[in-house]
Amino acid sequence: MLITLLQALVGGLTIGAIYALVALGFSLTYATTRTLNFAQGDFVSVGAFMGLAATGLVASALSIDPASYPWVYTLAALAATVAMGLIGWPLYLAAIRPFAGKPGMSWVMSTIGFGIVMQSTALLIWGPGTRMLAAPLGDGVLRLAGVGFRSQEVVVLVLAFLILGAFDYSMRHTGMGRCMRAVALNRDAAALMGINVTAVMTISFVASSALAGLSGVLIAPIVSASLFMGLLIALKGFSAAIIGGLSHPRGCMLGGLIIGVVESLTGLWSAQWREIVVFVLVIVVLSIAPNGMFGKGVAEKV
Amino acid sequence: MRSLTSFLRQNVSAFSAGLALIALAFHLDNDFYLRILFMGGVYFLCATGMNVLAGYAGQKSLGQAGLFAVGAYTVALLTTRLEVPAAWALAASPLIAALAGVLIALPSLRVKGPSLALVTLAFGIVVEKIVTEWTDLFGGAQGIYGIVPISHADEPFTMRQWVVLVIVLCVVSYAIIARFLRGRFGRALLSLQTDEIAAECAGISVYRYKTMAFVIAAAFCGLGGALVAQQNQYFNSDFITFQLSIFILLLVLLGGAGRLHGPLAGALVLTLTETYLARWPFAQHFVYGALLLFALYLMPRGIVGLLDSMPLRNRLSLRLPDPLPAMPVRAPERDTGEPLLALRGIGKAFGGVVTASDVRLDMQARCIHALIGPNGAGKSTLINIITGVIAADSGRILLNGRDITRASAHERARLGIARTFQNLRLFGDMTVMENVLVGAHTRIPGRTESQALGHAAAVLAFAGLSDHAGTQARSLPYGVQRRVELARALAGEPALLLLDEPAAGLNPQETAELGRLIRKIGGLGVAVLMVEHDMGLVMGISDHIVVLDRGIVIADGNPGQIQADPRVIEAYLGTDEDLGSLEAAAC
Repeated sequence: MLITLLQALVGGLTIGAIYALVALGFSLTYATTRTLNFAQGDFVSVGAFMGLAATGLVASALSIDPASYPWVYTLAALAATVAMGLIGWPLYLAAIRPFAGKPGMSWVMSTIGFGIVMQSTALLIWGPGTRMLAAPLGDGVLRLAGVGFRSQEVVVLVLAFLILGAFDYSMRHTGMGRCMRAVALNRDAAALMGINVTAVMTISFVASSALAGLSGVLIAPIVSASLFMGLLIALKGFSAAIIGGLSHPRGCMLGGLIIGVVESLTGLWSAQWREIVVFVLVIVVLSIAPNGMFGKGVAEKV
Repeated sequence: MRSLTSFLRQNVSAFSAGLALIALAFHLDNDFYLRILFMGGVYFLCATGMNVLAGYAGQKSLGQAGLFAVGAYTVALLTTRLEVPAAWALAASPLIAALAGVLIALPSLRVKGPSLALVTLAFGIVVEKIVTEWTDLFGGAQGIYGIVPISHADEPFTMRQWVVLVIVLCVVSYAIIARFLRGRFGRALLSLQTDEIAAECAGISVYRYKTMAFVIAAAFCGLGGALVAQQNQYFNSDFITFQLSIFILLLVLLGGAGRLHGPLAGALVLTLTETYLARWPFAQHFVYGALLLFALYLMPRGIVGLLDSMPLRNRLSLRLPDPLPAMPVRAPERDTGEPLLALRGIGKAFGGVVTASDVRLDMQARCIHALIGPNGAGKSTLINIITGVIAADSGRILLNGRDITRASAHERARLGIARTFQNLRLFGDMTVMENVLVGAHTRIPGRTESQALGHAAAVLAFAGLSDHAGTQARSLPYGVQRRVELARALAGEPALLLLDEPAAGLNPQETAELGRLIRKIGGLGVAVLMVEHDMGLVMGISDHIVVLDRGIVIADGNPGQIQADPRVIEAYLGTDEDLGSLEAAAC
């Protein structure tokens, strides 16, 4: 029983780490532009397929079996991260820039539109079927005190926590991080202090999209990749960001882990009810704490 | 009877369009085309409800597919499991969906922006998952067969009869909804979309109106779902997708959110798009994406907004009644000897900063009270406490001897407390006349729309704004905007009017005019309390001055007494000792 619980916990933390990466992406763009990329899910799935494509390309060029060479996966992950990051730039130009800072939430529709266009194009190239991306360290299971870890789970956990930690550090201790926080706090004042606000906003979208692409490659060996898999992953990442507090990066990360674990534990009882439990939980949390668990409400000055 | 004929007259074009469509339905004998008409009608119904919620109230729900499902499964389960007659089931579906609408409204009321999007989205996903996974009841992807359609002369409705039914429903819903949206209800929703605090202080219960908007949108979506399920005689979980929610929102945004005819334009364009692209599902998907991506950029106010801004259309000019009715004023309370408003022991602290401490104040009808004090003295806080925008930590507020300490801001507005704001909070997209009509929100029940217009016109004349009645508030010069806000407050026929720095940003001439206007307001029998830094204005027109410093009333009396009070001088200018220590620090 305890082993089953621990096993679920490991699975939950793994998927939760993925949600945390996506949530961090939401938090980044929200902080600098007060907008979110509602197409994040399509960036996750297309990212996974970019990884698949890169793997396929390398494998056929060198006529090797990609499963036996971990560096192929590393290359694929890098390719997906860079490719999706690059797509983040036109996303910002077309879907965000016209609407950022204006009332109404037109960016919800425009980013969803961008996602649909991207997904349609991807469907034309890769089709609607599911694919399997080979895990870089094989399908073996490590055992630790009776709890089994799939190799990819270890890869995801280690990598995700490294990235989350690096972001957390750089937001606090680097010039770029300070610029981002300055733009988040007061865009006009930041501009007057000589920060190139447009560049900071663009970078936040590039980073957020790159994170989504990387999450896609990381998750693809665990679930089978399809161009439709991103929607739910991004929705849970979004939920994680909101219940953690959008303007609070650490809260977003924690939110991701919580959602992953809740989902995984619910799965022990009934796999079908996972999503229902997760989203009902989100609604309940927001009814109690409208700004998320760690977010602070901004009192409006009257 | 007269209201019925005017109702019919107002909707002549809607009724004739309906008749024309019905004639078209009888002319077509191809089920394919009839089906297009049917679906167009269903989309229009969904959009009509959604326009109230997303367009007027500004609540962009991303979970309408869930409510569509509630309606569809209501008819499906009622007719197949409980064998309820088909017509009853159809009638029940919007009601059940409305109940679900309350369910989604409750958590949605507390959150804004992205969180609202998530709550509604999560609702849609939860419904989608429930109908997919709970196969025993909802049949999942297998669906429910044998849904009983409504019938005519013991024969199930033909496609043509369905079309006629839907068109009738569309015309009737349009006429009813348009009637409400043109008047007090529509103005209340638009105002809360712009500024919830200003709407609340004008006497609009933001909670109640938002909930109503959610319920109306839910009922219409539910009706749409029920119609589709009954016409198909089959329904499964594949209908209920995130894409459907997006589509319903797109109907409104593309057509023109907050425009009476937005849903019509949206339903027309998207039905045609769907029809022409149905053969190429890939292209259809792609076009939707492109529409979402670029439509709002190219047409921020939708198709209707685009047509409206065409130069050829002549602007509706506002006709004001002539002669004007008298300036509306609230009937005075029976004189009980009590002050109009009494503050007793009011205290408030933000963290460690005390902004009000045991404040005791009386205000009298016809009297101009001024509240002065250095920056940070707690003047605006006190106004916010009196109007109910923030709650006091301690103490009691009595209006005509009645305890209103726990009353909400909109309740206090109804009882006769009106205010203006330090930083303008006008409803910028509305005309001056509409702003004033929103201010009169609580006074309109029992009056016809034309009476309400007459009263509003009288208020505008009183404030010297008649020339600007039809102008968009945003486009006016700053000084005039301040006067519009004052007029909006007056339209609520207040017993007590609170002005938060009314002269800020005005030039000397405008300030002098403002002074005369405030005295005139006092002459109507209204008690005025103004927070103001312009000492010339304060000393010139006030009957009674209260000086606040760090949350404490340090003096009160008439202008002469205040000017001579040493504590006031100290609070404003500091003491000699302060000066001494300043010099010491400078050395």
